[in-house]
Amino acid sequence: MIEITSLRKWAVLLMLSALPNLLQAAEAGRVLVTSDLKEQPYLDAKTIANLPVGTFLEVLQRQGGWMRVKSATDEGWLKMTAIKLGAVDTSVAKTGDNLSTLVNLATTGRSGSSGVTVTTGVRGLGQEELRDAEPDPEAVKHLDRFTSAKSEAAAFAAKANLQSRTLDYLDATSSSASNNGLFKRN
Amino acid sequence: MQRTILVLLALLATTTAQAFSLNLDKLTNIIGKTQDLKGVDAQGEVEIGKGVAANLLGAAPLMQDDNLQAYVNRVGWWLVRHTERNDLDWRFGVLDTDSLNAFAAPGGYIFITRGLLMNLRNESELAGVLAHEIAHVLRRHHLAAIQKNAQTGIIADLASMAVESSQYGSLAEKAIATSTELYARGLDKSDEYEADRMGVVIAARAGYDPYGLPSVLHTLDGMNSQDAGLSLMFKTHPTPQSRLQLLDAAMSGKLDQLNQHNQVTDRFSGFVGGSARP
Repeated sequence: MIEITSLRKWAVLLMLSALPNLLQAAEAGRVLVTSDLKEQPYLDAKTIANLPVGTFLEVLQRQGGWMRVKSATDEGWLKMTAIKLGAVDTSVAKTGDNLSTLVNLATTGRSGSSGVTVTTGVRGLGQEELRDAEPDPEAVKHLDRFTSAKSEAAAFAAKANLQSRTLDYLDATSSSASNNGLFKRN
Repeated sequence: MQRTILVLLALLATTTAQAFSLNLDKLTNIIGKTQDLKGVDAQGEVEIGKGVAANLLGAAPLMQDDNLQAYVNRVGWWLVRHTERNDLDWRFGVLDTDSLNAFAAPGGYIFITRGLLMNLRNESELAGVLAHEIAHVLRRHHLAAIQKNAQTGIIADLASMAVESSQYGSLAEKAIATSTELYARGLDKSDEYEADRMGVVIAARAGYDPYGLPSVLHTLDGMNSQDAGLSLMFKTHPTPQSRLQLLDAAMSGKLDQLNQHNQVTDRFSGFVGGSARP
Protein backbone atom coordinates (compact mmCIF):
# COMPACT_ATOMS: atom_id res chain seq x y z
CA MET A 1 0.00 0.00 0.00
CA ILE A 2 2.75 2.39 0.98
CA GLU A 3 4.60 1.44 -2.15
CA ILE A 4 1.62 2.16 -4.34
CA THR A 5 1.16 5.56 -2.71
CA SER A 6 4.77 6.49 -3.24
CA LEU A 7 4.57 5.24 -6.80
CA ARG A 8 1.62 7.50 -7.36
CA LYS A 9 3.54 10.35 -5.87
CA TRP A 10 6.37 9.66 -8.26
CA ALA A 11 4.01 9.51 -11.17
CA VAL A 12 2.46 12.85 -10.22
CA LEU A 13 5.87 14.41 -9.72
CA LEU A 14 7.04 13.12 -13.07
CA MET A 15 3.95 14.45 -14.79
CA LEU A 16 4.31 17.85 -13.14
CA SER A 17 7.98 18.19 -13.97
CA ALA A 18 7.35 17.17 -17.56
CA LEU A 19 4.42 19.54 -17.98
CA PRO A 20 6.32 22.69 -18.97
CA ASN A 21 8.39 20.69 -21.43
CA LEU A 22 5.32 19.11 -22.95
CA LEU A 23 3.71 22.50 -23.34
CA GLN A 24 6.88 23.96 -24.76
CA ALA A 25 7.12 21.15 -27.27
CA ALA A 26 3.50 21.62 -28.22
CA GLU A 27 3.99 25.13 -29.63
CA ALA A 28 2.20 24.79 -32.91
CA GLY A 29 1.57 26.76 -36.03
CA ARG A 30 0.47 26.64 -39.64
CA VAL A 31 2.09 27.62 -42.89
CA LEU A 32 0.79 31.09 -43.75
CA VAL A 33 2.18 31.39 -47.28
CA THR A 34 3.39 28.52 -49.44
CA SER A 35 7.07 28.24 -48.63
CA ASP A 36 10.20 26.23 -49.21
CA LEU A 37 11.34 24.34 -46.15
CA LYS A 38 15.10 24.92 -45.88
CA GLU A 39 17.83 22.69 -44.56
CA GLN A 40 19.52 25.69 -42.89
CA PRO A 41 18.19 29.09 -41.74
CA TYR A 42 19.28 30.88 -44.94
CA LEU A 43 17.37 31.80 -48.08
CA ASP A 44 19.96 30.12 -50.35
CA ALA A 45 20.10 26.92 -48.28
CA LYS A 46 19.00 23.64 -49.84
CA THR A 47 15.22 23.20 -50.14
CA ILE A 48 13.86 20.11 -48.43
CA ALA A 49 10.22 20.42 -49.40
CA ASN A 50 7.57 22.89 -50.51
CA LEU A 51 4.95 23.37 -47.82
CA PRO A 52 1.46 24.43 -48.90
CA VAL A 53 -0.66 26.94 -46.98
CA GLY A 54 -2.23 25.49 -43.87
CA THR A 55 0.35 22.76 -43.28
CA PHE A 56 0.44 22.03 -39.55
CA LEU A 57 3.78 22.60 -37.91
CA GLU A 58 5.44 22.05 -34.62
CA VAL A 59 7.90 24.80 -33.68
CA LEU A 60 11.19 23.35 -32.42
CA GLN A 61 13.58 26.28 -32.31
CA ARG A 62 13.96 29.98 -33.11
CA GLN A 63 16.98 31.69 -34.53
CA GLY A 64 16.92 35.23 -35.83
CA GLY A 65 14.00 35.54 -38.24
CA TRP A 66 13.83 31.78 -38.74
CA MET A 67 12.09 28.88 -37.06
CA ARG A 68 13.05 25.23 -37.11
CA VAL A 69 9.79 23.36 -37.61
CA LYS A 70 8.49 19.86 -38.04
CA SER A 71 5.64 18.94 -40.35
CA ALA A 72 4.06 15.49 -40.53
CA THR A 73 6.79 14.40 -42.93
CA ASP A 74 9.71 16.85 -42.83
CA GLU A 75 11.86 18.91 -40.54
CA GLY A 76 13.70 22.09 -41.47
CA TRP A 77 13.74 25.90 -41.36
CA LEU A 78 11.06 28.41 -42.36
CA LYS A 79 11.00 32.19 -42.14
CA MET A 80 9.04 33.41 -39.12
CA THR A 81 6.83 35.47 -41.41
CA ALA A 82 5.75 32.33 -43.27
CA ILE A 83 4.23 30.86 -40.11
CA LYS A 84 1.08 31.69 -38.17
CA LEU A 85 1.35 30.52 -34.58
CA GLY A 86 -1.52 28.76 -32.80
CA ALA A 87 -3.10 25.56 -34.05
CA VAL A 88 -6.59 26.29 -32.77
CA ASP A 89 -9.04 28.24 -34.89
CA THR A 90 -9.13 31.47 -32.92
CA SER A 91 -12.79 32.04 -33.67
CA VAL A 92 -13.59 29.09 -31.42
CA ALA A 93 -11.82 30.54 -28.42
CA LYS A 94 -13.98 33.61 -27.99
CA THR A 95 -15.18 32.96 -24.49
CA GLY A 96 -13.67 34.27 -21.28
CA ASP A 97 -10.23 35.62 -20.78
CA ASN A 98 -9.10 32.62 -18.79
CA LEU A 99 -10.27 30.08 -21.31
CA SER A 100 -8.51 31.75 -24.21
CA THR A 101 -5.41 32.11 -22.07
CA LEU A 102 -5.61 28.39 -21.44
CA VAL A 103 -6.09 27.73 -25.13
CA ASN A 104 -3.10 29.89 -25.93
CA LEU A 105 -1.10 28.21 -23.25
CA ALA A 106 -2.04 24.76 -24.44
CA THR A 107 -1.43 25.47 -28.08
CA THR A 108 1.67 27.59 -27.90
CA GLY A 109 3.22 26.92 -24.54
CA ARG A 110 3.82 30.59 -23.93
CA SER A 111 4.19 30.14 -20.29
CA GLY A 112 7.53 31.25 -18.99
CA SER A 113 9.66 28.56 -17.44
CA SER A 114 7.26 27.92 -14.59
CA GLY A 115 4.38 27.10 -16.92
CA VAL A 116 2.09 29.50 -15.08
CA THR A 117 0.36 32.37 -16.82
CA VAL A 118 -3.20 32.37 -15.62
CA THR A 119 -3.69 34.85 -12.84
CA THR A 120 -6.77 36.10 -11.11
CA GLY A 121 -7.79 38.95 -8.87
CA VAL A 122 -6.02 41.75 -10.72
CA ARG A 123 -8.04 43.84 -13.08
CA GLY A 124 -6.99 44.39 -16.63
CA LEU A 125 -5.68 47.60 -18.08
CA GLY A 126 -8.01 48.92 -20.75
CA GLN A 127 -9.30 52.26 -21.99
CA GLU A 128 -11.69 52.58 -19.05
CA GLU A 129 -9.03 51.93 -16.45
CA LEU A 130 -6.79 54.53 -18.08
CA ARG A 131 -9.53 57.16 -18.22
CA ASP A 132 -10.73 56.49 -14.67
CA ALA A 133 -7.27 56.31 -13.12
CA GLU A 134 -6.44 58.39 -10.05
CA PRO A 135 -2.81 59.54 -10.43
CA ASP A 136 -0.42 57.82 -8.04
CA PRO A 137 2.65 60.08 -7.71
CA GLU A 138 3.96 58.03 -4.76
CA ALA A 139 4.27 54.98 -7.01
CA VAL A 140 6.43 57.02 -9.38
CA LYS A 141 8.87 57.64 -6.53
CA HIS A 142 9.12 53.90 -5.93
CA LEU A 143 10.81 53.60 -9.31
CA ASP A 144 13.81 55.45 -7.83
CA ARG A 145 14.67 52.33 -5.84
CA PHE A 146 16.18 50.73 -8.93
CA THR A 147 18.43 53.52 -10.16
CA SER A 148 21.55 51.51 -9.28
CA ALA A 149 20.75 49.56 -12.45
CA LYS A 150 22.47 52.35 -14.36
CA SER A 151 25.90 51.53 -12.91
CA GLU A 152 25.23 47.78 -12.88
CA ALA A 153 24.27 47.55 -16.54
CA ALA A 154 27.71 46.86 -18.02
CA ALA A 155 28.58 44.01 -15.65
CA PHE A 156 25.08 42.67 -16.06
CA ALA A 157 25.50 42.60 -19.84
CA ALA A 158 28.94 41.01 -19.66
CA LYS A 159 27.52 38.14 -17.60
CA ALA A 160 25.31 37.20 -20.52
CA ASN A 161 28.08 37.83 -23.02
CA LEU A 162 26.22 40.74 -24.57
CA GLN A 163 28.63 42.74 -26.69
CA SER A 164 27.99 46.26 -27.94
CA ARG A 165 28.21 47.04 -31.59
CA THR A 166 27.76 50.10 -33.75
CA LEU A 167 24.77 50.10 -36.07
CA ASP A 168 22.81 52.79 -37.87
CA TYR A 169 19.05 53.06 -37.53
CA LEU A 170 17.05 51.49 -40.34
CA ASP A 171 15.19 53.34 -43.05
CA ALA A 172 11.64 52.40 -43.83
CA THR A 173 11.85 50.02 -46.75
CA SER A 174 8.22 49.06 -46.86
CA SER A 175 6.24 48.36 -49.99
CA SER A 176 4.57 51.74 -49.55
CA ALA A 177 8.00 53.35 -49.53
CA SER A 178 8.89 51.71 -52.80
CA ASN A 179 5.54 52.82 -54.21
CA ASN A 180 6.45 56.37 -53.30
CA GLY A 181 9.69 55.86 -55.15
CA LEU A 182 7.80 54.84 -58.25
CA PHE A 183 5.55 57.86 -58.02
CA LYS A 184 8.55 60.12 -57.76
CA ARG A 185 10.08 58.65 -60.90
CA ASN A 186 6.83 59.09 -62.76
CA MET B 1 -4.89 81.85 -30.89
CA GLN B 2 -6.26 85.16 -32.11
CA ARG B 3 -9.69 84.28 -30.88
CA THR B 4 -8.27 83.38 -27.52
CA ILE B 5 -6.55 86.70 -27.20
CA LEU B 6 -9.81 88.44 -28.02
CA VAL B 7 -11.57 86.45 -25.32
CA LEU B 8 -8.83 87.32 -22.87
CA LEU B 9 -9.01 91.00 -23.76
CA ALA B 10 -12.76 90.97 -23.33
CA LEU B 11 -12.28 89.37 -19.96
CA LEU B 12 -9.75 91.95 -18.94
CA ALA B 13 -11.99 94.80 -20.03
CA THR B 14 -14.73 93.73 -17.68
CA THR B 15 -12.56 93.52 -14.58
CA THR B 16 -11.99 96.26 -12.01
CA ALA B 17 -8.81 98.30 -12.00
CA GLN B 18 -7.36 96.43 -9.04
CA ALA B 19 -8.15 93.04 -10.39
CA PHE B 20 -6.90 94.16 -13.73
CA SER B 21 -3.29 94.47 -12.68
CA LEU B 22 -3.51 91.17 -10.81
CA ASN B 23 -4.94 89.32 -13.78
CA LEU B 24 -2.53 90.90 -16.17
CA ASP B 25 0.35 89.35 -14.28
CA LYS B 26 -1.34 86.00 -14.30
CA LEU B 27 -2.17 86.22 -17.94
CA THR B 28 1.33 87.17 -18.94
CA ASN B 29 2.57 84.23 -16.98
CA ILE B 30 0.06 81.80 -18.42
CA ILE B 31 0.60 82.92 -21.98
CA GLY B 32 4.32 82.53 -21.39
CA LYS B 33 3.78 79.03 -20.11
CA THR B 34 1.65 78.11 -23.07
CA GLN B 35 4.46 79.13 -25.32
CA ASP B 36 6.89 77.16 -23.14
CA LEU B 37 4.80 74.11 -23.77
CA LYS B 38 5.37 74.44 -27.48
CA GLY B 39 9.08 74.02 -27.03
CA VAL B 40 9.27 72.03 -23.82
CA ASP B 41 12.82 71.69 -22.51
CA ALA B 42 14.26 68.52 -21.02
CA GLN B 43 13.13 69.46 -17.53
CA GLY B 44 9.61 70.19 -18.70
CA GLU B 45 9.58 66.89 -20.51
CA VAL B 46 10.51 65.06 -17.31
CA GLU B 47 7.81 66.95 -15.37
CA ILE B 48 5.15 65.97 -17.88
CA GLY B 49 6.52 62.42 -17.96
CA LYS B 50 6.32 62.17 -14.19
CA GLY B 51 2.67 63.15 -14.31
CA VAL B 52 1.91 60.71 -17.11
CA ALA B 53 3.71 57.96 -15.21
CA ALA B 54 1.58 58.75 -12.15
CA ASN B 55 -1.53 58.34 -14.31
CA LEU B 56 -0.35 55.00 -15.68
CA LEU B 57 0.59 53.76 -12.21
CA GLY B 58 -2.84 54.87 -11.01
CA ALA B 59 -4.38 52.62 -13.65
CA ALA B 60 -2.15 49.64 -12.82
CA PRO B 61 0.18 49.37 -9.81
CA LEU B 62 3.80 48.28 -9.85
CA MET B 63 4.48 44.61 -9.23
CA GLN B 64 5.67 44.03 -5.69
CA ASP B 65 8.78 42.14 -6.73
CA ASP B 66 11.99 44.12 -6.33
CA ASN B 67 14.19 41.44 -7.91
CA LEU B 68 12.11 41.45 -11.04
CA GLN B 69 11.88 45.25 -11.15
CA ALA B 70 15.66 45.53 -10.74
CA TYR B 71 16.19 42.97 -13.51
CA VAL B 72 14.01 44.88 -15.97
CA ASN B 73 15.79 48.11 -15.00
CA ARG B 74 19.20 46.55 -15.76
CA VAL B 75 18.07 45.33 -19.17
CA GLY B 76 16.59 48.77 -19.78
CA TRP B 77 19.72 50.65 -18.76
CA TRP B 78 21.93 48.42 -20.87
CA LEU B 79 19.75 49.26 -23.87
CA VAL B 80 19.70 52.97 -23.08
CA ARG B 81 23.50 53.10 -23.14
CA HIS B 82 23.23 52.40 -26.84
CA THR B 83 21.01 55.38 -27.58
CA GLU B 84 21.42 59.11 -28.07
CA ARG B 85 19.59 60.04 -24.84
CA ASN B 86 21.49 58.16 -22.16
CA ASP B 87 21.61 61.39 -20.13
CA LEU B 88 17.94 61.06 -19.13
CA ASP B 89 17.02 59.57 -15.76
CA TRP B 90 15.38 56.49 -17.21
CA ARG B 91 12.98 54.51 -15.05
CA PHE B 92 11.60 51.08 -15.84
CA GLY B 93 8.71 49.31 -14.18
CA VAL B 94 6.61 46.15 -14.41
CA LEU B 95 2.88 46.88 -14.06
CA ASP B 96 0.80 44.37 -12.15
CA THR B 97 -1.92 43.57 -14.66
CA ASP B 98 -2.88 40.59 -16.77
CA SER B 99 -3.26 42.74 -19.87
CA LEU B 100 -0.48 42.53 -22.43
CA ASN B 101 1.04 45.91 -23.12
CA ALA B 102 3.97 48.26 -22.72
CA PHE B 103 4.11 52.04 -22.35
CA ALA B 104 6.50 54.92 -22.61
CA ALA B 105 6.10 58.33 -21.00
CA PRO B 106 8.12 61.45 -21.82
CA GLY B 107 11.38 61.93 -19.97
CA GLY B 108 12.27 58.23 -19.89
CA TYR B 109 9.53 56.32 -18.05
CA ILE B 110 9.10 52.84 -19.51
CA PHE B 111 6.57 50.23 -18.40
CA ILE B 112 5.82 46.65 -19.37
CA THR B 113 2.86 44.73 -18.00
CA ARG B 114 3.20 41.45 -16.17
CA GLY B 115 0.84 39.92 -18.74
CA LEU B 116 3.21 40.71 -21.58
CA LEU B 117 6.35 39.84 -19.63
CA MET B 118 4.97 36.38 -18.80
CA ASN B 119 4.32 35.75 -22.47
CA LEU B 120 7.90 36.41 -23.52
CA ARG B 121 10.43 33.64 -24.06
CA ASN B 122 13.79 35.24 -23.42
CA GLU B 123 15.66 38.43 -22.67
CA SER B 124 16.08 39.38 -26.33
CA GLU B 125 12.27 39.57 -26.59
CA LEU B 126 12.12 41.72 -23.45
CA ALA B 127 14.91 43.89 -24.89
CA GLY B 128 12.92 44.26 -28.11
CA VAL B 129 9.81 45.44 -26.27
CA LEU B 130 11.72 47.85 -24.01
CA ALA B 131 13.76 49.20 -26.93
CA HIS B 132 10.54 49.93 -28.87
CA GLU B 133 9.27 51.98 -25.91
CA ILE B 134 12.67 53.64 -25.45
CA ALA B 135 12.48 54.71 -29.10
CA HIS B 136 9.18 56.54 -28.40
CA VAL B 137 11.02 58.60 -25.80
CA LEU B 138 14.05 59.17 -28.05
CA ARG B 139 11.78 60.56 -30.75
CA ARG B 140 9.49 62.35 -28.23
CA HIS B 141 6.42 60.80 -29.84
CA HIS B 142 4.14 61.09 -26.81
CA LEU B 143 5.41 64.52 -25.85
CA ALA B 144 4.60 65.88 -29.29
CA ALA B 145 1.12 64.34 -29.22
CA ILE B 146 0.46 65.57 -25.67
CA GLN B 147 1.55 69.09 -26.58
CA LYS B 148 -0.67 69.02 -29.64
CA ASN B 149 -3.69 67.80 -27.62
CA ALA B 150 -3.06 70.04 -24.67
CA GLN B 151 -2.76 73.27 -26.58
CA THR B 152 -6.35 73.09 -27.75
CA GLY B 153 -7.63 72.47 -24.26
CA ILE B 154 -5.34 74.94 -22.56
CA ILE B 155 -6.19 77.78 -24.87
CA ALA B 156 -9.86 77.16 -24.31
CA ASP B 157 -9.30 77.29 -20.55
CA LEU B 158 -7.04 80.30 -20.45
CA ALA B 159 -9.79 82.79 -19.69
CA SER B 160 -11.16 80.89 -16.73
CA MET B 161 -7.67 80.19 -15.47
CA ALA B 162 -6.89 83.88 -15.42
CA VAL B 163 -9.52 84.49 -12.77
CA GLU B 164 -9.40 81.15 -11.03
CA SER B 165 -6.33 81.22 -8.88
CA SER B 166 -6.69 77.58 -7.83
CA GLN B 167 -5.94 76.57 -11.40
CA TYR B 168 -3.17 79.05 -11.80
CA GLY B 169 0.05 77.48 -12.87
CA SER B 170 -1.47 74.10 -13.64
CA LEU B 171 -0.73 74.04 -17.33
CA ALA B 172 1.53 71.02 -17.04
CA GLU B 173 -1.27 69.34 -15.10
CA LYS B 174 -3.63 70.12 -17.92
CA ALA B 175 -1.22 68.57 -20.37
CA ILE B 176 -0.87 65.51 -18.17
CA ALA B 177 -4.62 65.16 -17.77
CA THR B 178 -5.14 65.10 -21.52
CA SER B 179 -2.43 62.45 -21.83
CA THR B 180 -4.76 59.78 -20.44
CA GLU B 181 -6.84 60.09 -23.57
CA LEU B 182 -3.73 59.73 -25.71
CA TYR B 183 -2.79 56.44 -24.04
CA ALA B 184 -6.34 55.18 -24.47
CA ARG B 185 -6.33 56.14 -28.15
CA GLY B 186 -2.75 55.53 -29.21
CA LEU B 187 -0.11 57.28 -31.28
CA ASP B 188 -0.03 57.64 -35.04
CA LYS B 189 0.77 54.39 -36.83
CA SER B 190 3.87 55.92 -38.34
CA ASP B 191 5.23 56.56 -34.82
CA GLU B 192 4.73 52.88 -33.97
CA TYR B 193 6.46 51.68 -37.13
CA GLU B 194 9.36 54.04 -36.49
CA ALA B 195 9.71 52.81 -32.89
CA ASP B 196 9.75 49.23 -34.23
CA ARG B 197 12.58 50.00 -36.65
CA MET B 198 14.58 51.84 -34.01
CA GLY B 199 13.86 49.22 -31.35
CA VAL B 200 15.40 46.33 -33.26
CA VAL B 201 18.55 48.38 -33.91
CA ILE B 202 18.91 49.38 -30.24
CA ALA B 203 18.54 45.73 -29.18
CA ALA B 204 21.10 44.68 -31.79
CA ARG B 205 23.54 47.40 -30.68
CA ALA B 206 23.24 46.00 -27.15
CA GLY B 207 24.27 42.56 -28.42
CA TYR B 208 20.87 40.85 -28.46
CA ASP B 209 19.31 38.81 -31.24
CA PRO B 210 17.62 41.66 -33.14
CA TYR B 211 14.63 39.41 -33.87
CA GLY B 212 13.38 39.62 -30.28
CA LEU B 213 10.78 42.27 -31.15
CA PRO B 214 9.64 40.56 -34.38
CA SER B 215 9.31 37.37 -32.38
CA VAL B 216 7.02 39.10 -29.87
CA LEU B 217 4.92 40.53 -32.70
CA HIS B 218 4.76 37.07 -34.22
CA THR B 219 3.53 35.67 -30.91
CA LEU B 220 0.91 38.41 -30.57
CA ASP B 221 -0.24 37.75 -34.12
CA GLY B 222 -0.86 34.11 -33.19
CA MET B 223 -2.96 35.02 -30.18
CA ASN B 224 -6.70 35.41 -30.12
CA SER B 225 -7.40 39.07 -30.92
CA GLN B 226 -10.68 38.79 -28.96
CA ASP B 227 -8.75 38.12 -25.77
CA ALA B 228 -9.60 40.87 -23.25
CA GLY B 229 -5.96 41.10 -22.25
CA LEU B 230 -5.02 42.21 -25.75
CA SER B 231 -7.82 44.68 -26.37
CA LEU B 232 -6.03 47.92 -25.45
CA MET B 233 -2.84 47.04 -27.27
CA PHE B 234 -4.73 45.99 -30.40
CA LYS B 235 -6.83 49.16 -30.28
CA THR B 236 -3.84 51.45 -29.95
CA HIS B 237 -1.38 49.83 -32.37
CA PRO B 238 -1.32 48.71 -35.99
CA THR B 239 -1.89 44.95 -36.30
CA PRO B 240 1.06 42.79 -35.24
CA GLN B 241 0.93 41.26 -38.73
CA SER B 242 1.49 44.57 -40.50
CA ARG B 243 4.17 45.62 -38.01
CA LEU B 244 5.97 42.32 -38.46
CA GLN B 245 5.88 42.55 -42.24
CA LEU B 246 7.19 46.11 -42.38
CA LEU B 247 9.85 45.34 -39.81
CA ASP B 248 10.97 42.20 -41.58
CA ALA B 249 11.29 44.14 -44.83
CA ALA B 250 13.30 46.90 -43.14
CA MET B 251 15.62 44.40 -41.41
CA SER B 252 16.15 42.27 -44.48
CA GLY B 253 19.64 42.52 -45.93
CA LYS B 254 20.85 44.37 -42.82
CA LEU B 255 20.07 43.01 -39.38
CA ASP B 256 19.51 39.48 -40.70
CA GLN B 257 23.13 39.49 -41.86
CA LEU B 258 24.58 40.11 -38.39
CA ASN B 259 24.50 36.46 -37.39
CA GLN B 260 23.76 37.63 -33.87
CA HIS B 261 21.70 35.11 -31.94
CA ASN B 262 22.18 35.87 -28.26
CA GLN B 263 18.68 35.46 -26.82
CA VAL B 264 19.67 35.11 -23.13
CA THR B 265 17.03 32.57 -22.25
CA ASP B 266 18.32 31.13 -18.97
CA ARG B 267 18.68 34.41 -17.11
CA PHE B 268 15.25 35.52 -18.29
CA SER B 269 13.65 32.28 -17.11
CA GLY B 270 15.40 32.63 -13.76
CA PHE B 271 13.91 36.05 -13.09
CA VAL B 272 10.58 35.93 -14.86
CA GLY B 273 9.68 32.29 -14.48
CA GLY B 274 10.01 32.51 -10.72
CA SER B 275 7.79 35.57 -10.59
CA ALA B 276 4.83 34.13 -12.40
CA ARG B 277 2.05 34.09 -9.88
CA PRO B 278 -0.87 31.74 -9.51
